[in-house]
Amino acid sequence: MISTKHLELVRLGLRSLLGYPMRTVLTMLGVVFGVGSVIAMLALGAGAERELLREIGRLGIQNIIINSVKPEESTDSSSRANWINSYGITFKDHRRIVATVPGIKRALPVHVSKRTVWSGSKRVEGTLYAVMPEHLEMFQLNTSVGRNLSHLDDEKLARVCVIRSGLLKELSIFEDPVGLPLNIGNETFHVVGVLEDDAFLGYARKALSVDAKSSEIYVPYNSILKRHGTRSITRRSGSQEATDVELNQVVVSVEDLDQVLITARVIDSLLDRSHPEKDYELVVPLEVLAQRQKTQKVFNLALVAIASISLLVGGIGIANIMLATVTERTKEIGVRRALGARRHHIMAQFLTETTTISTIGGTVGVLVGIGLVQVLTLFTGWTSVITLFSVLLSLSISMAVGIISGIYPARRAAGLDPITALRHE
Amino acid sequence: MKNSVVSLQGVHKYYGELEPRLHVLKGIDLNVAEGEFVSIAGTSGSGKSTLLNLLGCLDDTSKGTYLLNGKDVSTLSDDQLSQIRNEDIGFIFQSFNLIPQLTVFENVQVPLLYGARSISDCGDLCMQVIDSVGLIPRLEHRPSQLSGGECQRVAIARALINDPALLLADEPTGNLDTSTGDEVLALIEDLHRQGRSVVMITHDPDVASRAERRLLLTDGVIVDAEAA
Repeated sequence: MISTKHLELVRLGLRSLLGYPMRTVLTMLGVVFGVGSVIAMLALGAGAERELLREIGRLGIQNIIINSVKPEESTDSSSRANWINSYGITFKDHRRIVATVPGIKRALPVHVSKRTVWSGSKRVEGTLYAVMPEHLEMFQLNTSVGRNLSHLDDEKLARVCVIRSGLLKELSIFEDPVGLPLNIGNETFHVVGVLEDDAFLGYARKALSVDAKSSEIYVPYNSILKRHGTRSITRRSGSQEATDVELNQVVVSVEDLDQVLITARVIDSLLDRSHPEKDYELVVPLEVLAQRQKTQKVFNLALVAIASISLLVGGIGIANIMLATVTERTKEIGVRRALGARRHHIMAQFLTETTTISTIGGTVGVLVGIGLVQVLTLFTGWTSVITLFSVLLSLSISMAVGIISGIYPARRAAGLDPITALRHE
Repeated sequence: MKNSVVSLQGVHKYYGELEPRLHVLKGIDLNVAEGEFVSIAGTSGSGKSTLLNLLGCLDDTSKGTYLLNGKDVSTLSDDQLSQIRNEDIGFIFQSFNLIPQLTVFENVQVPLLYGARSISDCGDLCMQVIDSVGLIPRLEHRPSQLSGGECQRVAIARALINDPALLLADEPTGNLDTSTGDEVLALIEDLHRQGRSVVMITHDPDVASRAERRLLLTDGVIVDAEAA
């Protein structure tokens, strides 16, 4: 019974708004753009967060990545008695980690070296990753053509490799690459597979020390280590430098997600003892992810706060127009009061009108926001995610804006003296 | 003796808190019996509007009592007065005071929005009162599409919708030409014949003469027009 009456009040409120279509639309626009920008900002924020999760998540949140870091060159030349520049994680470190740190599923060693790659007369610089077969699986390095590295390759010290398709382009190879011989360093490796075009991005690239400029070439770990050892010589103009890094990287997988941070601390203190010069770094994706997400959340909040300012302006617009409307409709208010409307009826009437404006504006704003996000995504390539939460949030905020901006005009309307209002022309 | 619809006893109205106060109504005694048609005439400044506001429960008395349909309305709250205006009084204004953006049907329905009854049950009732003023063909029209006489008939229909104890007409023909004014007055006379209690306030002696009993408001007091 009450609801039909309320519906009727809403219907008549809409009627009043339709009486001034242009004014209503213009008033609505403030909310439309306000909500639109809030939706867009939330979508871009959520998109950035998803991107982050994808980027860092690819490193595996159960993993701890230990990288060898070249220590700052000591200016004291006497300390460099040996001309071989030797630093980083050693096989011994690896064995010790496997043997003493509890709760480890596996610890995969990685050796990285820069090599010149020849195919016919074409020459490019490549980065050779000597990895265990599980490494490729762990970082979702799947082949789109051919097969991946296997344990058998490793045992047989096979001269096979898995490459990025970018390398084929650089070497101007257009035929079927599987079985193709590549001269890497002084040896011939045969291509067995080409990886999917799914390069490591942003932080993941940095954490895995993947060089953006040269293509990755994955070869069986033992094929390199057993045949060549770990020493590499870099020739520079006039001089040459030899480096000996036993392991460039160890990727430790922890059994229990809860133990990742503790395990990282255990490994750090273990390595710290034998590496006083700090020639290693620990990357804990889980930790990085948490930090980045925290930063992103603050950033998102700031974005939304800025977008909300336009919503606030929209609300002020509604309040302003409603105040004018109250003055304009003083006579109508007087008539309604004479016909028996109580103060709260008049209040309700104006609040209904402002809420209707803002809710319709909010709904249109959601659509505008979604459109805006599509356009932005199309032109900038940013990731965006429109969540149901953001839509519901924007709609409730716009309704709240309607109510809040309506309160003052509505109170003024309801407070009018019926006699004065009736006499108003 | 019939019951009184309106009973004013020693009613004074003055404005302002400090002396000298503007003393507009100076002791009004007025009884309107059920079914009576009373006109109150007076020149401008005689206190007509003030009396009308009092009778219409839009304003309260400074002194004296006002019984409307037996209820003392001089001590009621704003909400209670709104309820009285809604249920017991039917206003007919000089300038019709229809709500411009609403149709004839919706205008007539407005008082129902503020009353206790459900509006969904009252569709027939609306049609009935609109029919009684002969405006069924104009149901979906806006006030701007109606003539002055039609507007006033819509206003009368609106005044009747809640079956009020008192019809209060304020210069009902003031904005109409003579012949249309006559039609409206004839309609009011009809309503009176059907047993409605009507108080009509006007400055026009001709209009006032249509009433059953004519009173004159002069300088804040009421005198019998016939005697004057």
